[in-house]
Amino acid sequence: MKGKSLWSDARSRLRRDPIGMISFVVICGYLLVALLCATHLGFKGYNVVDNSIAYQEPSVVHWFGTDIFGRDVFDRAAHGTITSLTVGFFGAGLSVLIGTILGAVAGYFGGFADELITWFYTTIDTIPYILLVVAFSFVMGPSLTTLCLAIGLTSWIRHCRVVRAEFLKQRERDYVQAAAALGSGNLRRIFVHILPNTFHLILINFTLGFISAVKSEVILTYLGLGVKPGTPSWGAMISDARLELSRDVWWGLAAATIFMFFLVLAFTLFNDALRDALDPKLKSR
Amino acid sequence: MGKYIFRRVLYMIPILFGVTLVTFLLFNVAGGDPAAQAAGRYATPAQIQAMRVEMGLDKPMVVQYLNMVKQIFTLDWGRSWSSKQQISILIKEGVGPSLSLTIPAFILTLLISIPLALVMAYKRNSIFDKSLLVSCLALISISSVFYVLAGQYFISYKLGWFPIWGWDPTWEGRWDYVALPLLIMVILSIGGDILFFRTVFLEEMYQDYVRTARSKGLPERRVLFKHVLKNALIPIITLVVLEIPFLILGSLLLESYFGIPGLGNLIYRAIQESDFPVIKAMTIMSAVLYIVLQLVTDVLYALVDPKVRFE
Amino acid sequence: MSENIIQVRNLAVEFRTDEGIVNAVKKISFDVPRGKTVGLVGESGSGKSVTSLAVMRLIPNPPGKITGGEILLNGKDLLKLSESEMRNIRGNQISMIFQEPMTSLNPVFTCGDQIAETLMLHQKLSKTDAMAKVHDLLTQVGIPNPAERIKSYPHELSGGQRQRVMIAMAIACEPDMLIADEPTTALDVTIQKQILDLLADLQKKYQMSILFITHDLGVIADIADEVVVMYRGDIVEKGHTEDIFLKPQHPYTKGLLACRPSLEKNPRRLPVVSDFMTADGKEKVIDVAVMKQQKQTRAIDVKHSELLKIQNIKKHFPLQKGMFGAVKSWVKAVDDVTLTVRKGRTLGLVGESGCGKTTLGRTILRLIEPTAGEIVYNGTDITKLGREDMRAMRRKMQIIFQDPYASLNPRMTIGAALMEPMIIHGLGSSREERLEMAGELTKKVGLDRSMLNRYPHEFSGGQRQRICIARALAVKPEFIICDESVSALDVSIQAQILNLLLDLQDEMNLTYVFISHDLAVVKFISDEVAVMYNGKVVEMNDAVGIYENPQHDYTKKLLGAIPKGMPKHLIQ
Repeated sequence: MKGKSLWSDARSRLRRDPIGMISFVVICGYLLVALLCATHLGFKGYNVVDNSIAYQEPSVVHWFGTDIFGRDVFDRAAHGTITSLTVGFFGAGLSVLIGTILGAVAGYFGGFADELITWFYTTIDTIPYILLVVAFSFVMGPSLTTLCLAIGLTSWIRHCRVVRAEFLKQRERDYVQAAAALGSGNLRRIFVHILPNTFHLILINFTLGFISAVKSEVILTYLGLGVKPGTPSWGAMISDARLELSRDVWWGLAAATIFMFFLVLAFTLFNDALRDALDPKLKSR
Repeated sequence: MGKYIFRRVLYMIPILFGVTLVTFLLFNVAGGDPAAQAAGRYATPAQIQAMRVEMGLDKPMVVQYLNMVKQIFTLDWGRSWSSKQQISILIKEGVGPSLSLTIPAFILTLLISIPLALVMAYKRNSIFDKSLLVSCLALISISSVFYVLAGQYFISYKLGWFPIWGWDPTWEGRWDYVALPLLIMVILSIGGDILFFRTVFLEEMYQDYVRTARSKGLPERRVLFKHVLKNALIPIITLVVLEIPFLILGSLLLESYFGIPGLGNLIYRAIQESDFPVIKAMTIMSAVLYIVLQLVTDVLYALVDPKVRFE
Repeated sequence: MSENIIQVRNLAVEFRTDEGIVNAVKKISFDVPRGKTVGLVGESGSGKSVTSLAVMRLIPNPPGKITGGEILLNGKDLLKLSESEMRNIRGNQISMIFQEPMTSLNPVFTCGDQIAETLMLHQKLSKTDAMAKVHDLLTQVGIPNPAERIKSYPHELSGGQRQRVMIAMAIACEPDMLIADEPTTALDVTIQKQILDLLADLQKKYQMSILFITHDLGVIADIADEVVVMYRGDIVEKGHTEDIFLKPQHPYTKGLLACRPSLEKNPRRLPVVSDFMTADGKEKVIDVAVMKQQKQTRAIDVKHSELLKIQNIKKHFPLQKGMFGAVKSWVKAVDDVTLTVRKGRTLGLVGESGCGKTTLGRTILRLIEPTAGEIVYNGTDITKLGREDMRAMRRKMQIIFQDPYASLNPRMTIGAALMEPMIIHGLGSSREERLEMAGELTKKVGLDRSMLNRYPHEFSGGQRQRICIARALAVKPEFIICDESVSALDVSIQAQILNLLLDLQDEMNLTYVFISHDLAVVKFISDEVAVMYNGKVVEMNDAVGIYENPQHDYTKKLLGAIPKGMPKHLIQ
């Protein structure tokens, strides 16, 4: 008879949460859009240049009108999904990876390793985030990769703190002590025992990091440190809106904002649902 | 208490060292050739070399680093590459406008979000709570740039209530220019703040001492506003005070969009113009300020939480 | 005025959980007479705490709800009162004290403020008048230096003192009834005695009724006039204390009373509740074989050969660090302890919290490294062993921890947990073989092989502790440290586990060091007993001698503080 692991418990709790499920579907929807765009199976109008219909208002043909080159704004916004999902996934992924490794080492081994790592992240934390990212972007030049790396290499600190605290706590727990008494070495204790019990934190922080990365992309693009000009991205569309608005062209801003709104909202709600499912004692609703 | 402060000061030193080291590595090593930049686009290699000597860049790394540290201690930030002005003057001039924006925004945000979050926790799951919850979630799902653009477009451009752009250095005149960015800054922060504070209050309400307070017959209002609030303030203060050092940096986004000549704008232009000395100066200055103000925080913290005083 | 201050009639409480609706309290009725103490006794899941919260109408809603019944206070039904009327009663006519005084007191207000708050609320006293009364109350509850303690914060007080502060807060308005929910369970037995005496004094002084909730029948015997026994949400028996103890009617009560280890007897096996009662609560005729076993006494043997010698063991922890990390003072958790453990026998290690017994246990296994001293196991000083040799040694020396909920990795199946030690030590040459061995282990501890695929949270506390025992046995050890291994279990489960440990010892010739704060439990299972206090062993004797003939003052104090387990006037 197969037992019910804590993960399957969490999954069934999540399934019973309507808001969580709806957000999950929405996120999958965005993934689908990104896939369609990347494979050129849909939203093909994003690249079709036609200067005669530049800056047209939204209409039945072009739901969000056209931009300065006559390209379909709706399709461009759809393609922006690829940029945001990439930045979100790799930026948050990198940050969670670094944070987990450093946090685990600091929390588990303590002593000098802990002091060194703590000094390191306190130092980086003291420098304003924006200036750090600027420094990175200068060195590497603006591109999607730079963006992912810059965000990943600067936002790991919060997650690192959380993982470190968790490892410190779990290290003293009886089940880890029992493993030591049974003769297990440090590696086994870290990877077989403590790490699986921190996955829920990693998951939650990943979604949080994702949201923050997507929002950061906009600001960084505005500063000129974002993707290469010409690549469709929500950040670019919102930045360009500054000039467009002076000509009463509001649909570029609207499209990008609406696309981003639902993705961020879905992730936020999904994050809350994940939290509740993974540890019902923390019900904050 | 004195021992506590001394220990904290001692702890600051390796951090300061780390910060200067990172800044040095980042800007002096990775950031391109300062001599070439300073000499100008049309300089000959000989002129660049002369510049290098003048800037002390031909000396070994360690000496350069120590020079930088010396400069920091004497508050000699050097000159901006683009405007050639003394950076310390630029900073002094920029502080006023930045603080005129950030301090009122900071205070207003707290004055609005803490009480609102408290009431939401008190009336949890009511219509009031749920609708505010949804509003906050919506607020944080929209990019800050959108608020700026929308604010400028509708309120300044279409309705004409406030100027779109600009600044008045006089004390009375500036508030006309601060009003709209202030409003936007508050809107940007309250969403996330309210959600966070509300969670803190709710979690605190599950503690054992709340059950004891109820068992004494205290009305729910007193339980929340007296017992829970003081405990919940501890994590809240911790977080809030961490934001104070960054107030001086102003808002990069708002100052650049609204043309407010604060430190945020200074950083923005420095980024656009690759003006390293300015960026470096701002980095170090804000880091030092952050460390010092964190010390002040810790002391304040000790005053609120009786357990900390006895470490 | 009726003779009963509280009358509970057909009270029912339900809770909404992930698995559906749970009937925590199923239509119970009982009375609390004026000026008397009613002991509400039961194990976990009996509904006793829920009942006490229901009387105060403090059941958290959601997920709980009172679904029926009446609670009459002087004839008035509390369940029909408005919330503001009920608030007038809380802290005023009925007060409550809880189990964990540290978390039950607000950490950011002074003790004086918290006590004064009740006075100012119900008796409308001014701040100065209230503070004067607080001073008086603190003296009444036996807190030294009341003038200073008024300004102290909870974390500056000891556990016993905090509970006294809670009591002061509860009696401030001279309530007609005090509800005490396991108030001494988290306290040492010597402190417990002081608190129980204090409550008895206050009861006499204020003519107050007390509803005392506990799982400890010994405490009930000491302080209660009436007893109400609860099991799975029902009241199975109630009556005067002497009747319950001398002539228990219900099989559960009989089992509960019988399964406690006592200081006077020396049985080979403890009776368990399932000897008296079937799974669905019916009376069972006691098995003849079981009866015979219950008559057997256990032979205490102190002459076996030496297996483990602990020589001058010290474990010091840094307490205060100076300016630059130099340690200024130390906590001597284990202060020069020398002990001998005999092969195939049990050494009991007993003491109150902070005496160092748990630290000593972990140091013996080098889970904590000793600061000084030797641990000689079968001739080898294990403090000097390197990593590989120590790992090999770990096969022979195992440990079972206190908290069955924390000792198992929640994300590992039982099977994986049992097979892990086999993998580490290279036992069993294939997965099938290891699975087979794991199955055997589950059988040995009285569980079913089908449990191997399931996860710890699907089992009860007693079952998890059996799994921990099986895991320790997986490496075929010779020596096991039982670190408060039954302290977190219900009394009836405790008896089962103790029996199991003894059976395993006989079967596999195991050597035990049994650590506990519970003297009766230690007496049951040990051949020799060492008493620890402040990091030192103050007395050591065989299991009978230490109880009949205590030498050291501390041992005498410890023995004197234990509830006698029988109503007072019956002991003469």
